[in-house]
Amino acid sequence: MHDLSKQMTRSSTPSAAATSHRFGRITLDVRQSLPPWKQAVFVGGSLLLGLAISVWILALAGISPPQLASELAGVVSADSLRGVLVQAAPLILVGLGASLAFRIGFWNLGIEGQMIFGGIFAAAISIYEIGPPSTRLLLMGIAAATGGALWVLLVAFLKIRFRVNEIIATLLLNYVAMYFLFHLLYGIWQDAKTAFPQSTPFRPFERLGDIGYGLNAGLLVAIGSVLLAGWLIHLSRVGFYARFISANPRMAKIVSVPVQAVTLGLIAASGACAGLAGFINIASQEGRLTQSFSNGYVFSGVLIAFLSRNDPIVIAVVGFLIAVLFITGQTLQVFYQIPFTMVQMIEAIIVMTVASSEFLVRHRVRWIR
Amino acid sequence: MPVALQLVDIWKSFDGALALAGASFESRAGEVHALLGENGAGKSSLMNVAAGLYAPDGGAIVINGVTTALKGPADARLHGIGMVHQHFKLVRPFTVAENILLANRRPHFSSGMKAIRAAIRKQADELKFDMDPDRRVSTLTVAEQQQVEIVKVLVGGVDILILDEPTAVLTDAESESLLKIVQRLAQSGTAVVLVTHKLQDVKRFADAVTIMRGGKTVATLDPREATAEQLTELTVGQTIALPTRTELPNGPSRLNVGALTYARGDGRIMLNNASFHVRSGEIYGVAGVSGNGQAELAEALIGATEPTSGEIWLDEIGDISHASASVRRDAAIAAIPADRYAYALAGSLSIADNFAVAHIRSGRYGGVAMIKRREMRKDAMAAIKDYDVQGARSVSQKASLLSGGNAQKLVIAREFSRNPGVVVAHSPSRGLDARACAAVHERLIAARERGAAIVLISEDLDEILSLSDRIGVMTRGSIVAEFERPADRQAIGRAMVDHA
Repeated sequence: MHDLSKQMTRSSTPSAAATSHRFGRITLDVRQSLPPWKQAVFVGGSLLLGLAISVWILALAGISPPQLASELAGVVSADSLRGVLVQAAPLILVGLGASLAFRIGFWNLGIEGQMIFGGIFAAAISIYEIGPPSTRLLLMGIAAATGGALWVLLVAFLKIRFRVNEIIATLLLNYVAMYFLFHLLYGIWQDAKTAFPQSTPFRPFERLGDIGYGLNAGLLVAIGSVLLAGWLIHLSRVGFYARFISANPRMAKIVSVPVQAVTLGLIAASGACAGLAGFINIASQEGRLTQSFSNGYVFSGVLIAFLSRNDPIVIAVVGFLIAVLFITGQTLQVFYQIPFTMVQMIEAIIVMTVASSEFLVRHRVRWIR
Repeated sequence: MPVALQLVDIWKSFDGALALAGASFESRAGEVHALLGENGAGKSSLMNVAAGLYAPDGGAIVINGVTTALKGPADARLHGIGMVHQHFKLVRPFTVAENILLANRRPHFSSGMKAIRAAIRKQADELKFDMDPDRRVSTLTVAEQQQVEIVKVLVGGVDILILDEPTAVLTDAESESLLKIVQRLAQSGTAVVLVTHKLQDVKRFADAVTIMRGGKTVATLDPREATAEQLTELTVGQTIALPTRTELPNGPSRLNVGALTYARGDGRIMLNNASFHVRSGEIYGVAGVSGNGQAELAEALIGATEPTSGEIWLDEIGDISHASASVRRDAAIAAIPADRYAYALAGSLSIADNFAVAHIRSGRYGGVAMIKRREMRKDAMAAIKDYDVQGARSVSQKASLLSGGNAQKLVIAREFSRNPGVVVAHSPSRGLDARACAAVHERLIAARERGAAIVLISEDLDEILSLSDRIGVMTRGSIVAEFERPADRQAIGRAMVDHA
């Protein structure tokens, strides 16, 4: 049917077809199906195109391709790989967070706010010294997941009860969370010693350290979450239900899928992942609650989920690649005075080119002369 | 009369599935030529080839004696072939005139609008359609939208008009008047092709009929000389026995619907104190003119909507009018909704998933932690074999790829696989061909014999009369009269109209 309607549009433009024959004419057909390897070729090709455009823009900004290549080689060398893996952990978690909500059609754009509340909850455990030192870190992790989940469930409640649009609500609540964080950091939680707007440093047992082989404990949390989400989506009954909820919610309700419970559960899991990402950022990289530990992550989360088609295992890979991009960006920032927004621009270019490959996957474009 | 359109030995396959296997067809100017066949016989595919939508893999298209390769629908229109599709191709927020202008471009918008308006008026007058060019399509009834589609094609000027299942969406009265207009069009010299699976339409309105089966055209004959049995045998390949019913003693009352009332969001009362009861081992038919609360009754029974007041009392369970779908499932209520794709299937998911979803809570396909995909596939495979679901090359295939009748069989296979105690079936055979329809009816009768209480809601009075033990007539949201079997058709018809 879709096929017909597309072709009908074409049919209704005989005059256009007749007048433009000098330049040939472009026709569009909807594909019935496309083998997976061809889809991979289209997606891979557009990824390369996006990277090519990025390289070109960087060249305009004064970084020649050979320089870029040597920087990249430096980033993935053994020493900096540690930094990349530390950076990969929160990126993988925000990607998971976005994907779990997207799977049931809940557009969670409040990942930064949920990270902030995850961070605030975890920091509270440290600041008020809750629990013995041996379980402190675990407790901080649990608190962070809870904080992130509660912050997004607020919107889930508003959506179910009052039909509030979750895109707007989650996005704007990021600012509410940010100003609440500022309120704490310029107020009761301000570090008295330095008078900087940040909390007092966490104690050594409240930090995510190395676990050997140069790996950070944060990565372990991320990989554990990937496996858990992979099980939830691919193997458990919840994932089965989630597919029906996103495919046809009315039908799901009638065949007794617990629509509300699964929806709320996955939304909460989404917020929990974001909360954990916040926890990892403050407990491994910063070592204290700061103002800016969540900056830019909502965009990266959406990007990673989108590029991975919401598949947890693929998210781990894509999260790592985006981490390479982040670290390269940081290096360029230091040595070539390139603004960090350049990294976000490259992310945006890749999203756009990969998103447009979707069009080629679904349609066949022909140019008839 | 000269042959206007000739399709010779047409072949077409989609993704390896053969849709047309050497079909041939001839339509003459001045006659209504019916193309009769079951769902999936290839009628629409053949006509889409004629309309330039599908490029055939083999065969020839001869238009007015000239072999032509159609380059697309626009090219077909240039050759005077116009098609009115079963699913309308209208832009709903646009007005009638804008839609018709869109399909019949003029060089300038404002002068084009004027010309189109005049053309619409002329065409509508000829056909005796009451058509306002400035109404938005979204405010039109289905029958009016179809008139727009017809005028849209005729304004462009056609010698060969193809109508794909034009009466499927119309009431009896609307169908009658449409087919009379079609006859008049043919008398004025147009070659009309009427794609249909309704024998009655063919017998009454067609000058010639070509029958399709399995992608081939099997016979062309004069419908006035053939008997209904002959036509049925040709379409189906064998005659279908009417369902045999055994007389059962009256069972105990199983389902009691008491004073069920439902007011829509805009305040309109759709169900108004509807009350009836259904015994076990009984089919209770709910007859009525469409739009008198049947859809709302079905939705309240299967749990798609919550009634405003009243009760649905189920023996041994209690009032389920506000119970969740899982309580209804546990009470073994089978739901066969009228709109399969909206309420019964998730088209983008596989056949196996769609089959298994209703049983997953029972633990049959593994616990909460781990689902058993292999079991699901095995059971789904057995079910599609058992219920004769055709067109599924594998159970991993998307459910949306099944044709209407086979999708319905899949729904029934799922709903009946647990031996239901109560069945709610709303227009279960809508859009199905004779064989699929008979299969559905057989399943309902088998469930009745196993002691299920069955509510059969249908706008097809023949279906109600042939299956029901008792019949309730629904008008304006209430059951206004009840009839015991054998019921008097005329009396039911009067009850349907008198209270309206």
